[in-house]
This record gives sequence, C-alpha cells and structure tokens, in this order.
Amino acid sequence: MPDDRFESNATTTCGYCGVGCRLETHARDGRIVSISPALDGPANLGHTCLKGRFAHQFTRNRERLTTPLIRGEDGELHPATWDEALERIATELTRVKTQYGPDAIAGLASSRATNEDCFVMARLIRAAIGTNNLDNCSRVCHSPTSFAMRKAFGLSGATGSFADVDHADAAIIIGANPTAGHPVAGARIKQAAIRGMRLVTIDPRRIELADYGVLHLSPRPGTNAAVVLGLAHVIARDGLVDQDFVDARTDGFDALLDLIADYTPQDVERISGVPAADLEEAARIYGEAEAGCLIWGLGVTEHKYGSEVVQLLCNLAMMTGNIGRPGAALLPLRGQNNVQGSSDMGALPDTHSDYRPVDHEPTARAFEAAWGVPLSRAKGLTIPQMFDAAIGGELRAMYIFGEDPAQTDPNTTHVVHALESLDFLVCQDIFETETTKYAHVVLPAASFLEKTGTFTNAERRIQLVRPAIDPPGEARTDFAILSAVSAALGHEMPYASPEDVMAEIAALTPNFAGVTYERLGRRGLQWPVTADGIDAPILYADTFTTANGLGHFAALPYQPPGSEASDEFPLILVTGRRLEHYNAGTMTRRTANLELLPSDVLELHPDDAERLWVTDGDLVSVRSAFGRIELHAEVTRKIEPGHVFTAFHFPEVRTNLLIGSSADVNTSCPEYKVMAVDVRPVSEVPARVPALVAGD
Amino acid sequence: MSKNLVELIRRHHEQDAPTALEVLKEAIDAHGTITDDDRREASRRSGLPEATVYGVSTFYDDLLQPRGERHVRVCTGTACFAATGDAHVDALRDGFGVALGERREDGVVSLAETVCLGFCHSAPAVRDGDVIDAGPGVVTRVLEDRARAADEPAPASLLEEPVLTLPGDWSGLRATLASGTTPEQLLEAVKEADVRGRGGAGFPAGQKWGFARSAQGERKFIVANGDEGDPGSYIDKGLMERSPALLLEGMALAGYAVGADHGFVLCRSEYPLSKPALEQAAAQARAEGLLGADVLGSGFSFDVSIVEGAGSYVVGEETALLACLQGLRGTVSARPPFPAQSGVHGMPTVVNNVETLCNIPFIAREGAEAYRALSPGATPGSKLVCFNDRFVHPGTYEVPFGMTVRELCEDVAGGLIEGRAIKALQIGGPLGGILPASQLDTVFDFAQLAVVGCMVGHGGIVAFDDTTNMRDVARHLLHFGASESCGKCFPCRIGMRRGYEAFAADAPVDRANLEALLETLELGSLCAHGGGMPAPIRSLIAHFPDELGLA
Amino acid sequence: MSTTPTTFTATIDGSTGEFAPGTTILEAARVLQATIPTLCFDERQDPFGACRVCLVGVQGAPGPLPACTTPLRDGMVVDTREPTARRVAGAVVELVLSELPEPPAEHTELAAVAREFDVTSSRWPGKQHEPRPEPRHPYLTLRHELCISCGRCVRACDEVQGTFALTAIGRGFEANIVAGLDEGFKASACVSCGACADTCPTGAITELSLLLLDGPEPAHRPEPATR
Repeated sequence: MPDDRFESNATTTCGYCGVGCRLETHARDGRIVSISPALDGPANLGHTCLKGRFAHQFTRNRERLTTPLIRGEDGELHPATWDEALERIATELTRVKTQYGPDAIAGLASSRATNEDCFVMARLIRAAIGTNNLDNCSRVCHSPTSFAMRKAFGLSGATGSFADVDHADAAIIIGANPTAGHPVAGARIKQAAIRGMRLVTIDPRRIELADYGVLHLSPRPGTNAAVVLGLAHVIARDGLVDQDFVDARTDGFDALLDLIADYTPQDVERISGVPAADLEEAARIYGEAEAGCLIWGLGVTEHKYGSEVVQLLCNLAMMTGNIGRPGAALLPLRGQNNVQGSSDMGALPDTHSDYRPVDHEPTARAFEAAWGVPLSRAKGLTIPQMFDAAIGGELRAMYIFGEDPAQTDPNTTHVVHALESLDFLVCQDIFETETTKYAHVVLPAASFLEKTGTFTNAERRIQLVRPAIDPPGEARTDFAILSAVSAALGHEMPYASPEDVMAEIAALTPNFAGVTYERLGRRGLQWPVTADGIDAPILYADTFTTANGLGHFAALPYQPPGSEASDEFPLILVTGRRLEHYNAGTMTRRTANLELLPSDVLELHPDDAERLWVTDGDLVSVRSAFGRIELHAEVTRKIEPGHVFTAFHFPEVRTNLLIGSSADVNTSCPEYKVMAVDVRPVSEVPARVPALVAGD
Repeated sequence: MSKNLVELIRRHHEQDAPTALEVLKEAIDAHGTITDDDRREASRRSGLPEATVYGVSTFYDDLLQPRGERHVRVCTGTACFAATGDAHVDALRDGFGVALGERREDGVVSLAETVCLGFCHSAPAVRDGDVIDAGPGVVTRVLEDRARAADEPAPASLLEEPVLTLPGDWSGLRATLASGTTPEQLLEAVKEADVRGRGGAGFPAGQKWGFARSAQGERKFIVANGDEGDPGSYIDKGLMERSPALLLEGMALAGYAVGADHGFVLCRSEYPLSKPALEQAAAQARAEGLLGADVLGSGFSFDVSIVEGAGSYVVGEETALLACLQGLRGTVSARPPFPAQSGVHGMPTVVNNVETLCNIPFIAREGAEAYRALSPGATPGSKLVCFNDRFVHPGTYEVPFGMTVRELCEDVAGGLIEGRAIKALQIGGPLGGILPASQLDTVFDFAQLAVVGCMVGHGGIVAFDDTTNMRDVARHLLHFGASESCGKCFPCRIGMRRGYEAFAADAPVDRANLEALLETLELGSLCAHGGGMPAPIRSLIAHFPDELGLA
Repeated sequence: MSTTPTTFTATIDGSTGEFAPGTTILEAARVLQATIPTLCFDERQDPFGACRVCLVGVQGAPGPLPACTTPLRDGMVVDTREPTARRVAGAVVELVLSELPEPPAEHTELAAVAREFDVTSSRWPGKQHEPRPEPRHPYLTLRHELCISCGRCVRACDEVQGTFALTAIGRGFEANIVAGLDEGFKASACVSCGACADTCPTGAITELSLLLLDGPEPAHRPEPATR
C-alpha cells in the first residue's frame, strides 16, 4: 500500500536479538517514524516485539556520538576531526606494536555488528596489526554452545529452524525465557504449545511459557547437568532410545550408558531438587515424541560446566533420534542479533571464518593469499585472558568495537582495573558507555538502522541489513571506520562496499560459498550455502559434519557449580533478561521502553522475603563475595525459595559487580547464572559497607 | 471462537476449573454487581486472561444489569408487546421511579428488561426475584410487592400416541441397550426417521450425528440447545421443566449413536426452574444407573452437565451457544468448522435443539416407521406449537405436521379472546415472517410456510389483534434485533441499529433505502439473526404498507 | 461418503487453478490474482468472517458467499464482480462509514476499501461512536470512536502474540475493544508488541509516533545513573 506519510522505506533485519526479525522501516525528514514487521520474514512471519517495532528513538537521541572524541591532557574527552582521531590511533597502535609486538594489542568485535563488519575487524586485527588477539561477546554468552555443538555434530549452529517448532509435538526449553529474551520466538513457541506441542520448561524461575506447557521443572541453579543426565537415564531405562539411529549415526553411546546408570531420578532429585516423578514424565514426553525440539539459552551456557551441559543436551537428541528431521531440532537461542555471525566470521582468537583453526595451514595460506600479509598461527587471547593480560602488563592496547565490557562482563571491578591499565584504548560505539570512560579515542559509529550488511540469526539464516536512515553528524558505518583505521595502519583493504566484503567472505569461507546479496533477497539463506546457492534449513539429515561423519556422545558427569550457597551467602542469584530492554540498555534505555520498565527489581520468593523481613517494594542490598548492589525487591512466586533473580540491563544497578570470575571450563564463558548472595533490607546494612567494593 | 482460548478452557476444565461465566454469575448473584476484583477472581479461577473475562462481563444482560434488593425483570417479548404495546414497561418504570437497566439510588429496587420469560400464555410477565408473575394485574401486584407465581397450562397432545408430551421413562434407552442395537443401527434409524431439527433451521439430525460420529476427536459431546430465546415461544421451557428425563434420555441416545460420553444442556437464566428440574432428573437417572459410567451394565458411559446462560438471544445460534457454554462471549463464529468437527473444547460435538432430542426416545422405542407415520404426507414426527395470551386457549400443543394455520388457531387455540379478529400472526419467532389473516389457510409445514415468506421456526405462534399498530411491530422487532445483535458481523451490528433508528424516528421511512438495508442484512449477515430479521419486515411491507409510514 | 479428491479445480473470474481441499475462496483468489477486498482479514490470523466485505458470487449458490471463510468445492466457479455480492459488500462499507465520526485517513485499509467500492457517504446516517478517554501508553494510542469491531487486534494479540491483552466488549452497535479490564495498554497484560496497531484497518489503534508526525516528539532520556 503506497503511503505518502513516508519519504523512504527500507526492508532490513532487526538488531535487537538472535531471532532475526525482518522489518520494514519508514522514515521521514531523515528520522524513522515507524517500523513494521515484514510479512514474509521467515523467522518472524509478520510479527515483531516492542524493541524491534518501537525502540528506534535512540537513533536520534541527543547523546548519540556524532564526532570522534580524543582524551586530552585534562583527562576529558574532546571532539576531534576524523583525521586527528585516525592519526592518533595509527600512532598509538604503531607505537605499541613496535615497542611490545603485535600481541600486545587486542580487539573486541561486536556481536551486534554485521558479518561484514566482523570480517573486516578480523582482517584489521589479523592483517593490519598481526595478532590473533580477537574475540567477541559470544565468549560471555554462547561460546559453550558453539564449542559443544562442534564437538557433538560438527557445526556451530542450530540444527534446524524456528519453523521446526511448528512441526514438533514436544519440546524442552531449558535455561531460557523466550517470551522475554526472544519475544517473537517466544510467541511462536507459545502458539505451538497452545496448539498441542507438549512443552516442558526447565528453569529455576517459573517462566511465562511454563503456564502453557505441560510440565515445569525448577532445578537448583548449577545442576542442569544432573537433570539432563537424569533425562537420559529415564530415556534409556524406559526403552525410548532410537537404537537404529544410535547404531547408524553415532559413536560413544556405551560410555554414556555406563555413566547415566548413576543418575537415577532419585539421585537427580537429591542433587537438583527436581521431583523424580517430574523428571520421569519430562523424559517420557521428549522420548516418546515423534519429533521433539530442544531449546536452550544462557541459563545453560553461562555456567561453570555450561559447555558440558550443551553436550549432554546433544546426547538427548541423538539417543532419541531427534535431529535432522522437521520438528526435531536443537535450537540455541542466541542472545545478540549476530552472535552467530560474529563467530562464523572468525572474530575469535583461535579460528578463521567457518571455525577453521588459525593454525590450519591451508586456511591460513588462503587468507594470507587474499590479504597479502603473513598471518600468525598462534592462538590469541580470549576476553577474560585479555583483561588478565592487561592487568599483567602484557596487553597494552585494545580496540573495542560495539561492546561495553565494563557494564556487561562479570567481575566489573576486575574489568575496570584492566581497562585502566591499558596504555591505549579505542572504543567505537554509538553512545558513550561505561567502557568509553577509559577510552583514549572514541569513534562515532552507525547503528544497525544506518548501515548495510548482513546478520546471521539463531537459525543460521544470513539476512540483509539495509539503512533506514543516515548516521547522525559525522558518525560513520563500522565498515567505513574499520577500513579507514586499517588504511591508516598501512593495510589498505580493497572493499568499496560491504557487498564486496561478502564476496570475499564467500570466496574464503566454504559454508558461505554461494552467498550473494542478490540471493539473500528478502528471505535470506541458512548456511551452509553451496556454491550454487542451495541453503540448509535442516542440518545432519544424513550425516554429521564430524571427521568420521558420526555424532559423538559425551559421557560427562555432573559437577557442582563454582558458587554455592553458604552461611554467609545463603541465596542463589540468577540473572536474566526483561522483555522491555536489551543488554546493557544502551539503546532501549534511550527510548520510551524506559517508561514501560523504568527500573529493575530483585525477584524474591515470599518465604525468603518473610524470613528476611523484606516486603514488596523495599530497597534491598544484594551482596556477593565480589561486590554489592542495591535495588528494590519484588516478592513473587515466579521464583523458587532460595533463589533470587534480577536482570542486567540497568547500568546504575550494575548487577555484574556481584559476579565473580568463575567460568565455563572449556570456553571461559562466565558463570553469570549462579552466584551465592546475601540479601537484606538496606536499613539493616551497616553504613561502613561501601556501595562499591574497595578499589573502585 | 478463539482456538487458543478454547484450548486453554479445555485444559482448565480438566482441572475442574469453573468457566469465567459461571464465576461472574456467582459474583453478581452474591452482591448485585460485577467489580474488577470479581473479574480478576474469575480470571484466576477459570484460567482465562483478564481481558477475556472483561469481554464476557460486558456481553450478557444478566451481568450488565445492577441488582437492588429487589431485582425486577420485565418481559418485553413479542407476546407481552402484543398484549400491552409495552404499556406494562412504562407503568413499572414510572411506578418504581427507576429506568430500565438501573438500580434505584436507594438500592431497594432495580428494573431490567428481559426477553422473554416464557409466560406468553398469560402476558405481560414480570419476574420479581425468582417469582414470575403474569397476566392481568401483574404490574399492580409487583409494584405493591405481592407478586405471586403464575400458573402454567399443561401441554396437550392431538396425537393418539404422544411423542413429546410425556414425562420420559427411559424406555427408549433401555430398549436400545437391552436389544443389542448398535450405535450404527440407532444412527440409521434416526436418519431413516428423517428427524428435522426443531430449533428453526430444520437441518436433518441424523446427518449431523453422522458427521460427528465420523469426525476425529479424543472425546465427543452432545449439547442440548435449551436457549429458547424466541420471544413468544415456551416449548423447550415446558420440555425441560416438565419432561427433563425425556430430554436426558434423548441426549444419552445421541451419545450412544455418536460415540460421545458427555452431554451439556444449555438452558436459559430467564427460566429459573429449568436447571433445577434437569439437575434433579439427572441425579435420579444417575441413582438408577441410567447416567454415569457403564449405563445399565452395557459398557456405555454417558453423563450430563447442566449449564445456565446469562441473557443473550443470539446464544441460541449453535456456535454462539458453544461459546457461552465454555464461558466466552456469546458471539457467532463462521462455519466451517462446524460443531460436528470442532465444538466443545475443540472436540466433535452434536448441537441439537431440546425438542429435537426429545423425539429420539420414541424412535429408539418404536422405530423410524412409527415415527414417520405420525404426520402422513408431511414432515415426519410431530411438532409442539404454543400460542400467546391473545388466544382463548393459550398453551403448548403437540400437533402433527400438515394442519392449516387456521385449524391450529381456531380449532386448537380457540380463536382470539373478546371475539377479536386476528390481524396477523408471527410464527416461529422474531425472525419468522408475518402471516396476514388472509393467508391463514396456509399449511403448517416447512415448505408451505416458506412459500408465503414464513417458517415453522420453533413453533411459537403470536397473534396480533386488530388493535396492534404494525409500525410499532416493526420498531419492536428491530429494537429486539439491534439490542440482541452479538456485534460480530458488520451488516447486523450496524444495519440492525439503522433499521431500528429508521422506525424509531418520527418520520417516514425511505422505502428504497429500507429495502437495500434489508437485502444487506439478509444476504450479508453471518447468522440467522441478521439474515432472518428482514423476513418479518418484508411481510409487513407487503401486507401493511400503509401502516408502516413508508416514503 | 464419497472420497475427497486430492486437488480441487476452481475458476475465479475466468482463471482456473488447482487447489488443496480446505483452501478458501480468498486464498485461491490471491493465487489466481483476483482482487477481493477485505476488512477483517489478516493473513497472519485465522479467517473471522465478520466484515462481509469479501462477499463473492458463486455459481449455483443461493446467495453471495464470504470468500474468507468459504472453502472451495471441486469445480467451483467464482465471480468476484457478481453484482449482488458487490452491491451488498458496498452497502456494508457504507454502513461502516456511517458509524465513524470522521472519514478514515487516506492511508488506512478502510479508506482503500471505500475507494474500491467508490463509497464516500452513507444512505443510512445514524448514531456514531463517541470518543472516550484512554490511558496513555508511550507508543500505542487507541481511539475507540474509530473502532469497527473487526476483531483483528484482539486476534493479533491472541493468535500472533499470545498475550490475550485485548478483548471485544459490549454487543451490537455498542461493541468495541479494550485492553485488560478497560485499563489501557500499559496497566493491562500488554507487552507492547504493537501487533494490534500493525493490523488495525482504521487507525483506531495506531502508533503515537505516526499521530505525532507533524508535532513535537516528547523527549525520552534515561534517568541519570545513581551512583
């Protein structure tokens, strides 16, 4: 319908989460006036949430960065020209590189940026600087998923599509709250559950979808492994194993059988608190399904043994043959819009695109040939290692692009200390953040509504991003900025546009071989995409992508979490998302979403509230071994006794002050989801306890 | 009807949750009005969303009318209108000093309109609390707070062997189970008997059962439509209150034939005696092993629930009825899906009129042949008809099909009182055409009545005598049509209102515009409410053009 | 019972196609590129059958049929321009315009449908819906007087979003819609997804930003961080 209220319209992909909603943007006078869902968006089917639809006001917020900023002698950031900023960056990075070597520099790519941006960032760090010290924030969210799925199946990504939810007759959701974190996927799951898909929810918190499922399990935080092993036990015990599938398609099952013998429902009840009968019913619901889906989120991964639990989930799918068919998918719900893509592109310390190791000689040579420079074969630093190295003095400079680790990463005190230790920090963002407080140069970038490129959603679907409006002031797209920085460092990249970058990604990345913007069109393509453009909505129909083509079972025992309740810290804090906000709130808090949810609360069970003399709405202090925050309490039965919950969207609450350095044993993904804390009304807390821990 | 809400209702029903409508009815019975706290409570107990409950609470008359210490409901049905021209309504309003639909400021009395109380045999009728008084002097008695329960004439049968005017003795079900008659055989018998639906549409019952029998579903249900909303009709009232066992037996037989293990009767809140009568009959049947698990040791299980509506005419339409039964707003749904595919809780459901089901025990006992022989050369079976108080012998009569309307009015009902002349009859409810005195020799049967723009409908016969103004009749009918429109389809939602406005205005009605409006209602409406209302208006245009004030 | 063929043949406005049983006339018409106007239909939702603007002529049928809820029969011949169907559908549009206190805005679906039927006024003037106050929401506005009770918003909230924050209220001409217990979007269970505004064919529910296109936008700044 032609609508003369708008001067320009564009079809793009939402930048607010991993669902990947296709959006129609409508602009007038250089401002977005409305966004509506694209009716043909494969992931959203004409729907979107309040973030995608309404939270675009941040694009014209007066606090947007519109010029480069350079920290002056006075310690303050001052506006500067692009030439000044680029020259400063080139000078400082060259100085550090000369003085300490390229490995004294590290880069953080952004899981919110496009594939092309991340690929260009990888080239900047690897080719222009010459180090593999490159990571992205999937480190702190879904790196365990990636690790585990690669081990079990071969590829790092969902085995199917959101559409599989429409064809499943059962599903287990564990450690995810899709109606808040991934609202459009949540809505789709809810519809399927009402239509009759038998849904089991597993979460310490009674999530909204539990009301539409047939069974809800509330394990103690950190005991997911026991629960999943128990499910496997019952599936095996009750004869629900798809033996043909196991025999033909997998290896390692016998070791698993030996292991799960020890995880009887009674054992699991003792460890996790999940009633044995409920565990048995959940196992039967999934095990008896014709087609069952497994859906998980950060409540699985952000644990000390997060990557192992993902491997245990892969076991469940293989032993029941619930993989490689419509309705039988493993769907990790990716947090940020391009968590999948930023890692696919090789914005990781150990892999080039397609997760090919940096020391894989043919791959390294191919990149060297394309980029015309020698590349390091040594693994670089992960994000937590970077901060440790900064404090240790080995890391001297960082280039942080589209990330705010001082807000989002655990053990905030440690992160801030690391940032303060750097000789030189470049931040490239759309607003000033907690992290830019420590930057020497801040570069004004474009938001997802102002640039061209592609995002890859949680179902591996590569979708086009098109600008609805221009960036404000002198802000530039990340592609333009990174190209300019690289050129200033003496490494000229030959791309005229993001589309040129995609041509090179396709040429260098087998799973992207057939990707072109033209083929992506309105509906995108799900990688792997063959050279002739055929994509893959469902993986592993016939074979796995492992070396021997078989799926690998993992016999991994339950081990207790890194943080457990104690006399001093008797409650377990679980963190998560709220529907109205996104991540650190950089964008959503600059929209009227703030009016809908102006502040965060600590959810507390009525029994705990009564014991602690807390009433609904009271200001409470939450203290862990690492720090202390204050916020208001909400007394609710959504949470089990012994647990408390809050989100991480509000900088002033600084939830991550509470989180320690415990992390996934394989991927260093922080254990955000289990932290022993002490909660009490603020009036009871002695005044001598500082609001921030010592050292701030 | 929202599939999602129906599924949520099904799930909560399994947990023995009440419907939202049941909780809301309890609330207004308890304290005379519905508050937001009541709605939240209904949401919590029924498991339905708060907004959905709010929508329900704004749909039904019973929930909208605040109640005083005395809640007086004045019948504005067609028979009462024919008796007084609505003078009784004005008298009560003035006498109590309170408007219709309101509670007096002192809280002592509230006055509400109701259509209809089923006392058409002694109009006008007024319900004071649970006492229904009717006939001459009723207004004075009610104003003086000395209402008394009015008598109801016993139904009579013109047939040698009555089918419908019996109390019901479960002999049809006993015979069926004892003789080893299979469900298929019973279904065949009902098909062979060619039972036409008695609710108005005349759809073959056997065919409906066949659809439900062959439909896929975890469970199946039988629903008796006791929402006899037609003003001027009190046939089902009589059946539910005087022959409840006959109805329950018919339902059990339907359940046996279709493969359903549960039935619901939806009766009207305007008939306060129906639900208790049905529940008592059901309790007795259970005690005798005729309802419940393993009926008479046959292995067949069937039980019933009695549900009461809350004041809405359109709920008589089968999809709206199913919505009401499940506690939702009583709006009509487009078909398909038909209830036989997706009805109560989304399961295959037979919805039959109460009178239709009351025919089944006879067929089960005597066979299809005997049933067809009741009305030789006409529609098989018999029909209950009822007459309003303008007749000398008002009441319910079981008659064969094939008599003339004149025979019914003059020989059966004795002609009009005070020697008045019939000016016109409305047969079969407010959506039936109006038969002028000149066409009284029309045969009372489906096809013949259709020829003159009328219908059997549900069998209510309301006479207008020579004192009736036919423009007032048009206004009365359109007022009823507009206020009872469920509000779903646009032609009825807006068109009924426009029709009423045209006749309510003190001005001539543009004939061309009226005819275009009637065509829009007739051809455009989703259900028979909007689709049927043009029939009587067209009759009035054809037979009484001068009285209508057309231009 | 006769066996159902695996595909049905249907002809709409002279074009013939093969369709799966269960396909509605409207779905088939869209495949065959025949235009059938609609008001209460949204492809994201189950057909509703309320507006009756999609009436079409079907050979052999006793009267016009709604395209959205009528399944094809094998060999069905449909005429979307059949005069009686068009006349009745146009009259419905006239009735709809008569209930609104102002003509529909140019960009709305209702305005497009009125143009399609060339309807600008109504033969049946009468009572119109009246405005009533609605609590503020940062993004969504509801003007009750523009509501035509098509049910699309209620169904969007039910069938697309699954939040059930909206309901139809009242009956007959007084029917309308509200959020929650008639408490406004913000106080209700509404999750502000905007699916209702997206589907509304009259602009009764719309985005504040679109209403304010020519006016100043209220400033929304984060509260200063408390440290």
